Amino acid sequence: MSALKLTAALAAAVLLHLLGVHLIPSFTLFVDVFLVMVVLYALEGSSLAALLAGLMVGLLHDTLTSGPYGLFGFADTIVGYTTARLAQRLVIQRSTSVLALVSFASVAQQAIVAGLAFVLLPTPELPNPLWVAVKAAVCGLLGMLIHIATINWRRSAETRKRGRMSRLRLG
Amino acid sequence: MDERRTGWVLIVVLVIQLVFLAAQGSRQGDTVLERLSLRFLGPGARAVASLPNSFGGFREGLRTREGLQEDNLRLRREVEDLKLRLMQLTDIENEAHRLGAAVRHATPPLGRIRAVDVVYADHTSWLRTLVLYCGAEPAHKNQPVLSADGLVGRVVLVSGPYAKVQLVTDRAAGVGAMILRTRRQGVVRGSGRGSGGLELDYVPLQADVRPGDFVITAGIDGVYPRGIPVGAVVAVAQGGQLFHKIQLAPAVDFGTLDQVYLLDYEPLSAEIMSPDFKSPQKEPAPGVRP
Repeated sequence: MSALKLTAALAAAVLLHLLGVHLIPSFTLFVDVFLVMVVLYALEGSSLAALLAGLMVGLLHDTLTSGPYGLFGFADTIVGYTTARLAQRLVIQRSTSVLALVSFASVAQQAIVAGLAFVLLPTPELPNPLWVAVKAAVCGLLGMLIHIATINWRRSAETRKRGRMSRLRLG
Repeated sequence: MDERRTGWVLIVVLVIQLVFLAAQGSRQGDTVLERLSLRFLGPGARAVASLPNSFGGFREGLRTREGLQEDNLRLRREVEDLKLRLMQLTDIENEAHRLGAAVRHATPPLGRIRAVDVVYADHTSWLRTLVLYCGAEPAHKNQPVLSADGLVGRVVLVSGPYAKVQLVTDRAAGVGAMILRTRRQGVVRGSGRGSGGLELDYVPLQADVRPGDFVITAGIDGVYPRGIPVGAVVAVAQGGQLFHKIQLAPAVDFGTLDQVYLLDYEPLSAEIMSPDFKSPQKEPAPGVRP
């Protein structure tokens, strides 16, 4: 079930990323759909699953960039694992907490990628700090919206299920 | 699995990735995993690229019939002008061939050009790239990629019909180039400021460089043939004790690329590149004893 969920989330992230770049040329400058997906998946709490999800998503992201293959794989692995460990210790009650968590994860991921690029590339090109902040904010917002939508969808699914069960009992 | 074991898994995965990253070095885009990944993402990118760009379509829809008629008229005139220009150039080309034959000088052929579709374009982030769909005839590594305006980049990864391109504006890309007016050579690189601009390095302070000078490929790097437009000089400053600091505006608007051209070009023939290559023995001129 978890693998199915991961595959569906991965397909959704890839589709959203490709559509975003197709419709808005500067899409990758201010949002990272792959990172949002990794953090939201890691919030479920299994650190091994989050680690593997981060690795897979990061390597897919690497395919669509010109840097050394594995930059985002490395960064997203760390982000996925750390988020899952945090989620095991924290109780997230407000959606704004998700916003803060995704934003922080975005800054951390961009810092890891920039640090690795600085070490590995002879002439590294580092991201603009302003765009790092914008990307963190937009990722946070997107993560919060998806989180709210997921909670609402789960609640309505639960209500529908309960309704069906009570009808069955009455019958 | 308990958390302690997961921690060990994390360390092992990270170490493997670090070793993998370090081992790649300059062999960018040459991993089996990346090729597989591109093969997996390519069809999705192609399907999305075939969808209409709704913003562009909406804009087009708002254009009046009058506007389209004006465009049509202007394009017809442009075609007529270009036909005349082509006739003049064909004449010049024939003359150049005749003169070349007289002095036994063979101009290297530019190579065959074929159009391919851009299915994914990220030209704004600092790790910018293009993904191409090349159809039944796949691209090959280091193949030059052009647009009608000039140089786009080179193919760094091929996976089936899909190819990944390193743009000329990439900080890691280097192109042997020269200033058209003075033939002074240098190396063009991405400026690395997120602006998508270019820099021309290693041009000595004594060299004559002016804003507005055109820069073309020099054909000295073993990847690109000579004469492809790269950009134009926009600013010249003293970079250090030896070289100018020259900024260029790229010849190509990377935001408008939906189709590019792959150039089948061999800088050195396969025979020369072979380790068994031996230079041919010169035949003695008639009447001269060997």
